[in-house]
Amino acid sequence: MLWACLHLPRLPIELREPRDVGVAAVTDQHGSRRYLIACNDTAQKAGLHHGMDATTALAYVPSVLLLKRAPVQEKRALNALASWALQFSSRVSMDAQRWLLWIEIGASLKYFDGLDALKQKIINGVESLSYSASLGIAPTPEAAALLAYGNSASCIEHRDAIQPAISALPIHCLSIATQVREHLHSVGLRNIGEVLDIPRDQLARRFGPEVTTYLQRLLGEAPDPRRPHVVATTYQRRFELAAAIYSVEALLFPLRRMLLELQGYLRSRDTALQLLHLRLNHEHTPATLLQIRTTAPQRDAQRLLMLLREKLERTALPEATTELVIKVDEFVSPGDTQMDFFAEAKSRDRSWTELLDKLRARLGEQAIKRLGLHDDHLPEKAWCVATDEARQQHADTASLPERPLWLIEPKLLHDLPQLLGKPERIECGWWNEDARRDYYIAETAEGARWWLYRDLDSAQWYLQGLWG
Amino acid sequence: MHRTQVIAQLLQSTPDIWSGHAVATARSHDTGHAELNALLPGHGWPVGALIELIPLMEGIGELSLLLPVLRRLCSAAHDVVFVRPPHIPYPPALARAGLPLNRMIWIDAKHDDDARWCAEQTLREGIAGAVLLWSDARRDIALRRLQLAAREGESLLFMYRPPGLLHAASPATVRVALRPQAGRLHLDVLKARGGRQASASLQLFRAA
Repeated sequence: MLWACLHLPRLPIELREPRDVGVAAVTDQHGSRRYLIACNDTAQKAGLHHGMDATTALAYVPSVLLLKRAPVQEKRALNALASWALQFSSRVSMDAQRWLLWIEIGASLKYFDGLDALKQKIINGVESLSYSASLGIAPTPEAAALLAYGNSASCIEHRDAIQPAISALPIHCLSIATQVREHLHSVGLRNIGEVLDIPRDQLARRFGPEVTTYLQRLLGEAPDPRRPHVVATTYQRRFELAAAIYSVEALLFPLRRMLLELQGYLRSRDTALQLLHLRLNHEHTPATLLQIRTTAPQRDAQRLLMLLREKLERTALPEATTELVIKVDEFVSPGDTQMDFFAEAKSRDRSWTELLDKLRARLGEQAIKRLGLHDDHLPEKAWCVATDEARQQHADTASLPERPLWLIEPKLLHDLPQLLGKPERIECGWWNEDARRDYYIAETAEGARWWLYRDLDSAQWYLQGLWG
Repeated sequence: MHRTQVIAQLLQSTPDIWSGHAVATARSHDTGHAELNALLPGHGWPVGALIELIPLMEGIGELSLLLPVLRRLCSAAHDVVFVRPPHIPYPPALARAGLPLNRMIWIDAKHDDDARWCAEQTLREGIAGAVLLWSDARRDIALRRLQLAAREGESLLFMYRPPGLLHAASPATVRVALRPQAGRLHLDVLKARGGRQASASLQLFRAA
């Protein structure tokens, strides 16, 4: 087994995304001490750093925005990231306390063209989600975590190589209780190699069995079972915005990340969606609900983002948005979403599908129509709006009667234009509309051709078509 | 070598020089009406250009005029998009005219700017054989956008405009005014880049 471990040291601040907020940092409380656990870029440039006292930070930059740590949100973000990571492996687990995510890549190496290619893929993927992460790769989860903490580019491929590779690391990297770590330090131990040199039974007697268990797992001498990340059958992702957002452009940034995560999730399950729900929560007014329905199965984040953007630009939001929720209730088989370089007709079909989706997003579902015939004598019922799938064609079009290209809602006529030729009698029995009409072609004084009928029961004349 | 030959050769080797009657170079689709072909640059509806049709009123064969070219596009597996037509494009009539209904797309936009946006998107994608747009837009910039989109997508673009805009300036490549004349459709080619102003009269309906 080979574990890739992602460490996200700035997750608490990055999940808030206070991009335009200026200097911002997330704080945690330990007793009465409030200190920074993550800073955004501007804060780092201003000299703030992890571990700094909140009061010190305020002295440096009085305008700093201090946000309280939100463990629930961190867990949620990490969960989404774990679902995203399932595209690389079926075994993913996480530790929300330490902002760690493990992906078992030993079984996927071949599929992803080897270690280097896969490593690059994971790193690029995380980057595109706008998280900063360091990656460590080792045969045991804890060793991988150690490498990730150290952000060392080295990669341990065999179990025997773990001990020499980590011996030089300082003991504060070890994931053991703080008191134990301080205790080890107080007896003069400085790096991990020195701790590993102590006989295990002595270590257990002095510091408790947790330490030895941890070390055995670190070196792969004891099994390290982990709860695998499992995905829910519906997908929901909630994203709380650091500051209420008014502009659509600013909403697109978090949405993009959410959709990329969704894309990873869909890929990992080899599935796709046709209906996406977006909910925008506001502070005072009820939430705004939007839906994106696609004609063909879709899982491309860029496409979905484009559709959402169209929709958002056409939607009047009552006030600023405080939270975004995307939800997918139903999944469909991805169909031909895979690239097919050879079928030009197919790609044109796909372009149509995407184009029509885009038009629908702006104009509404009903605005894009396909035309169909309906077997009925009454002219206004002889046609229908067909669905995209119903691309059927009436076999016998030559036998259709002569009809005008424009059909209009019957309009009562008071002055009759000049009638041309003989009438066409159209009758429907009692089972239908019970209509009896005589249809004529007529020419107006100006020279336009009309299609009109005399209702034989009321003896009224109506205009129903134009020979366009 | 004769002088005219020399000049012709020079013109051939210098593509920057635009010659007014270079009619045959434009890519075009046969209109299906010989009298009309004779008047248009490239002997047909120019591809990738804005073609303006200005009917004096409705019900004079303004759409029938395009049936031959639409039929040909459909048989070459191209789709036809109706954007914001003034009435229902009546399927039984389209089918009878030989247009396969599965190639027709009707975009029922409420607003003119939506309609133009749809037409532009469709044109840019370059997958429609022809886009038929009904629009009251009068601003030059709107027309230029459509013109550009048509060029980019290499599609046919027919824009139906109200008769009130007959004398307005337009960047269109071809402008044709349509009016009825004794049971026939009379066409005045107001403008044809690379062509000339002329008129034709077509018999579109069978004599009743």
